[in-house]
Amino acid sequence: MMSNGDIIIHTSGLTKFYGKLRGIEDVNLDVKRGEVFGYLGPNGAGKTTTIRTLLDFIRPTHGSATIFGLDIKRNSVEAHRHIGYLQGELELYGNLTGEDLLKYLGNLRGGVDWGYVKGLASRFDCELSRRIKILSHGNKQKIGLVQAFMHKPDLLILDEPTQGLDPLMQQEFYRLIADAKNEGRTVFLSSHILPEVEKVCDRVCIIRQGWLVAVETIETLKAHALYQLEIHFARAVPRDRFDSIPGVRDVVVENGILRCNVVGSLDALVKVAAQFEVVNVVSHEPSLEEIFLTYYNEDKNNVK
Amino acid sequence: MLNNVFLKTMRDQRRSLIFWGIGLVALALYIALFFPTVSNMPELNKLLENVPKGLAALFGGQIPDYTSPVGYLNMELFSMMLPILLLVFTVGFGSGAIAGEEEKSTLDFLLANPIPRRRIVAEKFGAMVASLLLLAVVFYVGLVIGVVSVGMEVNYGRIAEATFSTLLLGLVFGSLALFLGCLRGNRGLSIGVTGALAVITYLLNSLGGMVEALKPYRILSPFYHHIDPNILANGLSPVHAGVLLGLIVIFFVLSLVVFERRDVAV
Repeated sequence: MMSNGDIIIHTSGLTKFYGKLRGIEDVNLDVKRGEVFGYLGPNGAGKTTTIRTLLDFIRPTHGSATIFGLDIKRNSVEAHRHIGYLQGELELYGNLTGEDLLKYLGNLRGGVDWGYVKGLASRFDCELSRRIKILSHGNKQKIGLVQAFMHKPDLLILDEPTQGLDPLMQQEFYRLIADAKNEGRTVFLSSHILPEVEKVCDRVCIIRQGWLVAVETIETLKAHALYQLEIHFARAVPRDRFDSIPGVRDVVVENGILRCNVVGSLDALVKVAAQFEVVNVVSHEPSLEEIFLTYYNEDKNNVK
Repeated sequence: MLNNVFLKTMRDQRRSLIFWGIGLVALALYIALFFPTVSNMPELNKLLENVPKGLAALFGGQIPDYTSPVGYLNMELFSMMLPILLLVFTVGFGSGAIAGEEEKSTLDFLLANPIPRRRIVAEKFGAMVASLLLLAVVFYVGLVIGVVSVGMEVNYGRIAEATFSTLLLGLVFGSLALFLGCLRGNRGLSIGVTGALAVITYLLNSLGGMVEALKPYRILSPFYHHIDPNILANGLSPVHAGVLLGLIVIFFVLSLVVFERRDVAV
């Protein structure tokens, strides 16, 4: 659409301090056209600060950013034309009905295809005829999603989009993201839930205490992923057979129960385990904090 | 009614406007209908002459000719009651316009649209002016009906001018409240500071009428520019109305400037 066509979001040294409190510091990002980009971090890491800076709600202390090649400070109005935004901790006009709200926001954008909006709303089974203040959090979130998508924006910026959605609606949301990607649109979504990011994103950026820790493809992230595994065998197993498997760490064997941490692929471990009689396998998804620790420990020497 | 920020803001006010309109008409009729009773009591004026000066200050600093139509309407409506009521309306409106949405976190929705910030402020300000104009017209019609029905001898044009001046006074404080809301995004702060300034400038004007040391500073009070010209008797003074208008414009422009630059809802 504009200059340096395939970079949709570009930030350089983007920094935001609230007084002395660090929001984000020296964030350098490139989000490419047509990709689903995950912005992953625990609460308070600076995800919302980044998003609100990109949308020109707050102004960076240092650094700059462009969206579609447009400067976020000088050309924010033009950039907003092509952005669909869902705020985290969504608040809607409680005294309006869902339909009134969507009409209002549609009008503020100079009119939208109402047939398409209705289609989106029915896809999410939205309650449009009632006042928003009596709706549950999940039902509000669905209306929030519809308003973000309703003008078919080229870029979607979604702050914790699945908050409060039930599993069925989450699946519908993932399909909507996939559709947007297929139509060549770009999605920037923040999350603190790793499996969600794994499911929908092409690339992931991990942010922690205002710093970018890593930008990785999902494959790389998974390769780094740490699994806690517990295998119950029918009989005692020799520890040394498992100790030597690459990627397997912290092996403990007790009464035929093997506990270990595995980095990356589980394949080698499973093949060794299969030589014995396996009763049960218990796996724990690595928590976000564990992934951070993996990255943090690795990067501590490089960053600052 | 959901076509733009201006109409949406008017729509949000519709119930409030209906009740305010009813209240103002009721007040105008009530005051007018009592006039025959008051005008038949010339001893009231004698009583008022003996009122301590300090107390008189609260009524605009001069002992009014209470039993004449102009003196009565000034004292009962235009010097205090109507300004206070319109101020309550505009300060509530102005402080909530931006800061209210900011506190409710709905401001993100407006800002995420392809609309410049200054246009959002301008449309909110426009809605405040339109709402107050509507109330002023309704009040005026109510008062004229009352005045006609009791046969008060007072110029209707002058009533319109006095009402218009009160409207300007209300907008001075309303736009100040808008400005403070735009500056800090805190509705309570905006109401508190504007309210305090209203009280201080009111007293500055009324006490300045008697206390020599304060007299030169009366021109700093918006109330002075509304009350001192005695519009019901002399007509609207372009200079004084111009000062009020100027203040409105200054606060409005400041609102645009500070909101454009500020971090929103941090």
